[in-house]
Amino acid sequence: MTDKDFDLSRRSFIDRVLMATAGAGMAAAAPWASAAALAAPMAKGDRVRLGVIGTGDRGRALIQNIAKTRNCTVAAICDNFELHLAKGRALVDASTRAFTDHRAMLDAGGLDAVVIATPLDGHKQHSFDAFDAGLHVWCEKAMARTIDDCGAMVKKSQDSGKLLQIGHQRMFKPTYLNAVRRAKEGEIGAITQIRASWHRQSSWRRPVPAGATDRQINWRLYRDSSAGLMTELATHQIQVGNLFFDAVPTRVMGSGSICFWKDGREVYDHVALIYEYAGGRKLIYTSLLNNARYGCEEQIQGSKGTIEPELGRIYQELPPKELALLRMQADVASGHKRTVPIGGATWFAELPVTTPGDSLGWGEYDETMLQFEGFGEAVRTGKPLPGLLSQAYYASVASLLGEQAMDSSQILNWPTSLVAT
Amino acid sequence: MADVVRFASMGTRVELHRFGAGEDDALTAAQHAIEAVDDALTIHRPSATTALNERLMAGKGAAIDDALLFDALVKIEELHASTLGLFDPAADRRFASAGWSAIAFDRGAARVEVSQPVALDFGGLGKGFALDRACAVLREKGVVSACLSAGESSIAVVGEHPLGGGWPFAIPSPLRPDEILVEIELTDESVSISSTVGAGTAAPERAAMIRPADATIVSVPRCSVAIDRLGAHAEAMSTALLVADEDRAERLLNGDRTRRFRFDFPCGAAIPD
Repeated sequence: MTDKDFDLSRRSFIDRVLMATAGAGMAAAAPWASAAALAAPMAKGDRVRLGVIGTGDRGRALIQNIAKTRNCTVAAICDNFELHLAKGRALVDASTRAFTDHRAMLDAGGLDAVVIATPLDGHKQHSFDAFDAGLHVWCEKAMARTIDDCGAMVKKSQDSGKLLQIGHQRMFKPTYLNAVRRAKEGEIGAITQIRASWHRQSSWRRPVPAGATDRQINWRLYRDSSAGLMTELATHQIQVGNLFFDAVPTRVMGSGSICFWKDGREVYDHVALIYEYAGGRKLIYTSLLNNARYGCEEQIQGSKGTIEPELGRIYQELPPKELALLRMQADVASGHKRTVPIGGATWFAELPVTTPGDSLGWGEYDETMLQFEGFGEAVRTGKPLPGLLSQAYYASVASLLGEQAMDSSQILNWPTSLVAT
Repeated sequence: MADVVRFASMGTRVELHRFGAGEDDALTAAQHAIEAVDDALTIHRPSATTALNERLMAGKGAAIDDALLFDALVKIEELHASTLGLFDPAADRRFASAGWSAIAFDRGAARVEVSQPVALDFGGLGKGFALDRACAVLREKGVVSACLSAGESSIAVVGEHPLGGGWPFAIPSPLRPDEILVEIELTDESVSISSTVGAGTAAPERAAMIRPADATIVSVPRCSVAIDRLGAHAEAMSTALLVADEDRAERLLNGDRTRRFRFDFPCGAAIPD
């Protein structure tokens, strides 16, 4: 892609974000998105200087997205595993400083903020150290390994007067924003259920290179460092659920198991949960690692239609049919004998609708870049993107509460002691 | 009392509606009877029939150990004869000369021999055959009034309508669902509908209707309806009526014009928008 092509597609992307977030309803529902889309470009020498802690796969993807922004630059990178650090170096200018210890990077100065892409159990300490160094923090989801640590990060950000932004790229994706707008406008009626799934056909286990340990590379599989599917995948989709329901869950129940990949991992390879929301609404969530048929999707189910944002489709409910065989039962019960038509559209009920639906629109481009432009703007102005941190905080809390519910086989209520955002 | 079970079997959706008397587990037992037929006669997963077909396609004979498969073969032999050879589950587009006539079924020895490679497809018989067994189970369980449906084209009823008299059904035109081809009443009977046109006939899993004599596809827009005491007989007759030439169709229709129907539609007729 040429620079001109990129500028054009970028402009189109931003226009779509702005279109999707226009209107009073959306300003309240997703205020962060338009704020990010309106970020002012900055001269190269004035850009927000970021130090990236963690240059594994995710960290390197973030570096590449930061390079696309018009207001941020990677000023330093850090990783305690030489192979990852070397791969990170390959993505940045030769003049970019590289460190094997994040404290040394913080001590060296020359940064406005850090980007944390380390294993989950390091997020709290890394963010605390950055706040103590007077820096703003952008941190990968999920926030932290425990609910208390999530709250502590929020509190530390507030006490230090520094920004904390958590990576949830769907909150900047035009398809999702447009879906929320259409839902807010009532196109699919009252949303009472969301079915969300992230199903993969993969062990999730990565080969361990020389010089590294299994726990260093496969930290997602061990409980000290991760809640597995809940913190790495579910947190994204629970956030989507909260966004469409415009609420946080009231309670959660679930079942988790290691039922396929019995390879020494400690985290569940199969989870199924129900998150209840006020009014009896439900988010039904499953994630597993041995069947990819249904992939990654959220099915937003309303009384007038269904939205499937990953597929980018919206489906309208068909008018209820008078079903022939069902009607026969009712007729008999009421003492009424009438001819039953065989076959045709009313013969059988309750089969899945296989119509293709309509396009929701606007699916391309990489929204991760916009997250960083929004973060750069927040750092520049000293004002956080509105509403964003609470969305991320509640999504992380919900994912960890789900883990607790599965571990304890109990129905757990939403915590009452969360830090006010 | 009225209750219902719904499940997928025989490659379609099955509904069993029971009214009034009968043992509590009657519908469950009937469901098991249908599933057992599916397990024995399916050609879409390992079964007694797929094992038999492997032998027959290799031109080899085989012993018939499975009781359900044996009963189905007995039924086929009977129905092949009673439909003037027009019902033929061994007819095969790949081999024009293949057919039931290439099969020698020795009931006494429970053995099949073939004169050339053939394969059996019970799709045209299976649903009626399965409904027959389910009806028998329901009667054994004391059920006196029930309606059984396998897909949109196979219905069986046990006894009379719960409000008395026959069960009234209307068969719409496959091309214009608002138009009724015929209204019928069933009592302890089955009806089978076959069609070369209409919703569902273009589904990928649907095989075309072929003439046993030369294995050519029946392309004329046509629908046939057959009613019989037994579902397997109704299935075979509706298939035979669909593939029959004019002369043999008349002979079959003359057997019972109140229970057998054939409707030809104008050529070029298609599924309406």
